[in-house]
Amino acid sequence: MTAILQIQNVSKQFDGLAALTDVSFEVQQGELLALVGPNGAGKSTLFNAIAGVFAPTKGQILLDGQDITGLPSHALARRGLARTFQMVNLFPELTALENVMQGFHRHMPTELLAGLLQTVSYRKSQSDWNTRAMDVLRILDLQSLASVQAQALPLGQAKLLTVAIAMATQPKLLLLDEPAAGLSHEESSRMMDLVSSRVKTHCTVVLVEHNMRLVGRYCDRAVVLQFGQKIFEGSPLDLVHDSRVVNAYLGTAGMGT
Amino acid sequence: MALVLMPAVATTYWMHIAIVVLLNITYTVALFSVLRMGYLSLGHAGFIALGAYTCVVLTVRLDISPWWGILGAGVMSGTVAWGLGAMTMRLRGIYFSLAIFAFGEIVVAFFRAFDWFGGPSGIANVPRPVFFGHALNNHFSFYWLVLCMSLFFMALLYRLQYTRYGATLLTLKTEASERLAQSVGIDAARLKTATFALSCAVVGTMGAVHAQYLMFINPQVFTFLTSTDLLIYAMVGGVSHFWGPVLGAGLLTLLGEQLFSAGYWKTLVYALVLMVVILSLPGGLVSLLDRVRDKWFSNLRN
Repeated sequence: MTAILQIQNVSKQFDGLAALTDVSFEVQQGELLALVGPNGAGKSTLFNAIAGVFAPTKGQILLDGQDITGLPSHALARRGLARTFQMVNLFPELTALENVMQGFHRHMPTELLAGLLQTVSYRKSQSDWNTRAMDVLRILDLQSLASVQAQALPLGQAKLLTVAIAMATQPKLLLLDEPAAGLSHEESSRMMDLVSSRVKTHCTVVLVEHNMRLVGRYCDRAVVLQFGQKIFEGSPLDLVHDSRVVNAYLGTAGMGT
Repeated sequence: MALVLMPAVATTYWMHIAIVVLLNITYTVALFSVLRMGYLSLGHAGFIALGAYTCVVLTVRLDISPWWGILGAGVMSGTVAWGLGAMTMRLRGIYFSLAIFAFGEIVVAFFRAFDWFGGPSGIANVPRPVFFGHALNNHFSFYWLVLCMSLFFMALLYRLQYTRYGATLLTLKTEASERLAQSVGIDAARLKTATFALSCAVVGTMGAVHAQYLMFINPQVFTFLTSTDLLIYAMVGGVSHFWGPVLGAGLLTLLGEQLFSAGYWKTLVYALVLMVVILSLPGGLVSLLDRVRDKWFSNLRN
């Protein structure tokens, strides 16, 4: 097994407030890892540090052995890191297919002059990319919605489309920020089914999730954060038996319960 | 076709109208590419003025060929816009608009401040280009220059929409979608700056031609009101489609030229038209065409 993502002693402080303290773990190639923790535990801070929203105060983040600490978002995409957003974030006026096409950006040459002249080879390559975009939509069962404007999609499918856009970048590592948030029981199961059975065969997946049911059922491993520190790393099946995790979620006996 | 045949049948007065319409359409279409990224520029006239003054200074003060003057104007406006865009396009909404507004005011104030640039009264006797021995010294011959350049820039900006680059511009429309664009590897900052620079290079180039047409330049020619006029053209025409700004600029310029002798009527009428369109037809005039077309097609089907 090779580590696709290495988090090494990562700390982040906001105006003296420690959001993350000395967090280290590795994500192995091909696995589906959940980042778990109660509100304010530092999950989002860690997610944002990996995704290049801000740089950690201390520590290093390595993607496939390369130091990516502090690189801006668009540079990370070029190195093979894709992400989704907690709030549904799409290009609302473009169709589902065109949304996925934008995801190809880092692989698709601009060919400005050929595009201006609409040369035969440009049109040919454009239709090739269309075919490939359909293939990506098919991974998430969205092919029938290819020509629907993104803003017209219902939430469940809109969230799947955000995953499709990220997949189109052909990432080594895909970060999903609460993929099931806001979805119904059935929708979230469907989302996680597709992620664990299909998306995972294309890339390593790290997701932030609250729902323990989903984590236990679909994820290979879990890392639990509390007060900015890692308190658990291992199989999600052991997670519910771990006293620190139980305390973090349900409160300690000392709190008067 | 009508545009080509026009010099054969039209009077000098109508040639003047045609030239002004073409100039305004080109300015508005260039502004449109910036609007498409979700940026409301309140200072495009600053870049028109910068181009116009660059050309005038090069040709009148430094005795350089008017052709080089036109080219220099585009390069100057584009370069300055690149620098300004890199600084200001991080801002969104009203902050960007105000920053560009301030720039437009600075340009005009700058040229007014120095006598070498003509001061408040400007510079006259701006030479026009000579095309293979033909001096473009009347409305009819100058019309060809304006027509060729307008069509070239319009074709360029129109085609750009249907390239990958053009489609990518739409992804930058809001802050959220820009974050998404960056997350798939789109270098939003560079793309926005480049597009802004292109837009300003186009208006700067046409500004040079405009100054040559007027044969003078002064600080009152391209003011804040020019910037807002361009926005009004675009909004009235509708910014959902390329032909919206063309339609808006064309119709309102025709209307404006008719009202020219009446002075302030132009501003009043423009403002009223804008208000009516925004209240009753938020998609602009092109949305009306869309509606007619949809109706026609549905009738055809039935």
